[in-house]
Amino acid sequence: MRRVIFKTYRRLALVGALVASGLAVAALPGAASAGASGGVITVGTLYANTGSFATSSMPEYAGLQFWVKQVNAAGGMYVAPLKKKEQVKLVSFNDQSDPATATTLYNQLLTQNKVNVFVADFGSVLTAPAVTIAKDQKHLLFDITGSGTSFFSSGPNPYVVLTSLPVSAVWPKPVVGLLSSLKIKRVAILYCQNDFDQAQAAAIQGFLSKEGLKPVYFQGVPTTQSDYSTIVQAIKGTNPQAVLEFGYPNNDIAFLNQLKSTNTHFNFVLTPFPGQLPTLFQQDVGAKALDWGYTYAVPPILKINQVNIGLGLNQFLAKFAPGKESSVNFLNVAGYNAGLAIQAAFAHATSMSQLGIRAGLTAVNGKLQTLEGTFALNKAGAQVGELLPVSQMVPAGSGFAYKIVYPATPAQKAMVNATAKYPAPKA
Amino acid sequence: MRLFEYALISGVLYGLFYGFIGVGLNLLFGVMRLVNLAHGDLVVWGGYLAYSLTTSAHVNPLWAIPISIPLALVAGFLLYVLTVPRLRRSPDTETSSLILFFGVSQVLEALATMKYGTNQVTLPELGNPVTIFGQQYAASLVASAALAVPALALFYLYLYRTRLGLATRAVMANEEEATASGVRIRLVATSAFMIGLAFAAAAGPLATFMLGGINPTTGGGLTITAFTIIIIGSLGNPAGTAAGGVLYGLASSLTQAYATAWTGMVPYALLLVVVLVRPSGLFGRRVRVA
Repeated sequence: MRRVIFKTYRRLALVGALVASGLAVAALPGAASAGASGGVITVGTLYANTGSFATSSMPEYAGLQFWVKQVNAAGGMYVAPLKKKEQVKLVSFNDQSDPATATTLYNQLLTQNKVNVFVADFGSVLTAPAVTIAKDQKHLLFDITGSGTSFFSSGPNPYVVLTSLPVSAVWPKPVVGLLSSLKIKRVAILYCQNDFDQAQAAAIQGFLSKEGLKPVYFQGVPTTQSDYSTIVQAIKGTNPQAVLEFGYPNNDIAFLNQLKSTNTHFNFVLTPFPGQLPTLFQQDVGAKALDWGYTYAVPPILKINQVNIGLGLNQFLAKFAPGKESSVNFLNVAGYNAGLAIQAAFAHATSMSQLGIRAGLTAVNGKLQTLEGTFALNKAGAQVGELLPVSQMVPAGSGFAYKIVYPATPAQKAMVNATAKYPAPKA
Repeated sequence: MRLFEYALISGVLYGLFYGFIGVGLNLLFGVMRLVNLAHGDLVVWGGYLAYSLTTSAHVNPLWAIPISIPLALVAGFLLYVLTVPRLRRSPDTETSSLILFFGVSQVLEALATMKYGTNQVTLPELGNPVTIFGQQYAASLVASAALAVPALALFYLYLYRTRLGLATRAVMANEEEATASGVRIRLVATSAFMIGLAFAAAAGPLATFMLGGINPTTGGGLTITAFTIIIIGSLGNPAGTAAGGVLYGLASSLTQAYATAWTGMVPYALLLVVVLVRPSGLFGRRVRVA
């Protein structure tokens, strides 16, 4: 019965998604005629309007839409091979957070809509099908936040470009540095079984083993996990000095709420998403439960205003959400930043072929300063410039503030504005 | 040993809640052979009602339970009148209901997205943790189990101590024979449909705690879990549903403790074993077909 229900769900969801996406495209002005030679540059993308990734996907999509609006308002995007500015048209479909639906729709973007370049939906789960398609069809993919290590581990690849985050395995490097500086040796690691989280967990395990340490707890759970009651007890039983939980936002929320509802206190807790979605976490977990926890610092926590393309952070905040700057989150920035990467690629492209457009990015590699930092790619297309320092959430009034406590690069030392408070005080 | 004890108690508490989730679906499938794919979405809407009450009126989210029951009874009656008689005339009621309720599920999900957005929403914890044998459990977990027990008892009383319950069981066992014996099928079916939906909505506020929050798509997974539980426990038997829930909760909790990576799989492996060894479920009776 379960199998029948599940299959029916999948099939009906796919049909629904195709119908819905067909309607979505029809609703886009001029979308049907948007092709490579229609006097516009077409950028294809997917977003998740529903499902478990909607929380992260929609703000990212809003950031990309904002970039399109900005660039068109400025008269279009400069396309070097054509020696003129072109308007940008976004062709977008709703994948409903389902990788199977996403696979169909990514293919549709390339084969039916014939977009010039395409942009992946949020995160590694929804990016994975796009990476395969980009490599198979030799079509340039701008991957915003799909930082799964496996996407970039098979040698040089000109067709996938990670725009907003370092590859997952690189993220935890400063975390290990911080743990080491705090002389923490008993580390518990809980991760969700997906490319993004597994890569981080494995990286930390690798870093620790170089120091002769072994995590006292190292377990994976399904990405759909929502009940952490017994897991928290199992972790507690290992008496860790630090607990690192790598999940997506819903996992982080459920995990932190479980700690709160059982009055469980650990001296060091790191979760990845409170830094990216502060408003959501403040609402769903509460400031008190976040106090003294750690997370990666991303814009707008990182305030980068010295840029040579697009808007600096303060300008972005003011224009993206006038009067509501505090509601802007990292994923808005990431969507916009992906647009800037596309803009740079076309501005320096050597031809309109996929490799010609990719060559545009090679020309500016390491020189581009965006509101996320230095845009630098390695040969596999992985982002190696925009590294993330570690921040601690400290009580501030009725809420909390992010304090950067450990840099990811020597250049970020100037950004450090507090010393990590360890052990974390009890609420 | 402490972890085993925690996993055991936590598993039983969660299991009772899961039993609560399964009861309404059990009734609908048992009486009318309707595969209500919208069951989980109704649970989610119950959760959203609790969220609305908490955020707008600042009252205890459990008030949503008594409020949701009459609302669900009315909604159940309307939905029954509009859909079920036609469904039951179709040559393959189960398949038709699968498709129809998939549509209902999608509509409910879309409405939830429009009203509440796509973000996860949570409810404030009900109180300080409760200490059982020296270990602390979330107040909401204990409250969920404490509410699930009387709900399952009420379901039992309805089925075994009322005339309507007797008629319901007769329909579950054999609809044709029940009709021949003068059972008013329509009354039984309408009642079962309304009660089933009321149970789903009433479980909603608890689900919001138990699942660490809800979002518009939470319902799909809940429906599958509910089906798993009623198949493990056996159709039409409230004790079976409770036992199915507890077994599911224990399997999930013990796996979390000792084989975390298998958490998503073990409860369904359990389902496979039960279906292979005892196709009628743990509490199912063997039926002799003459």
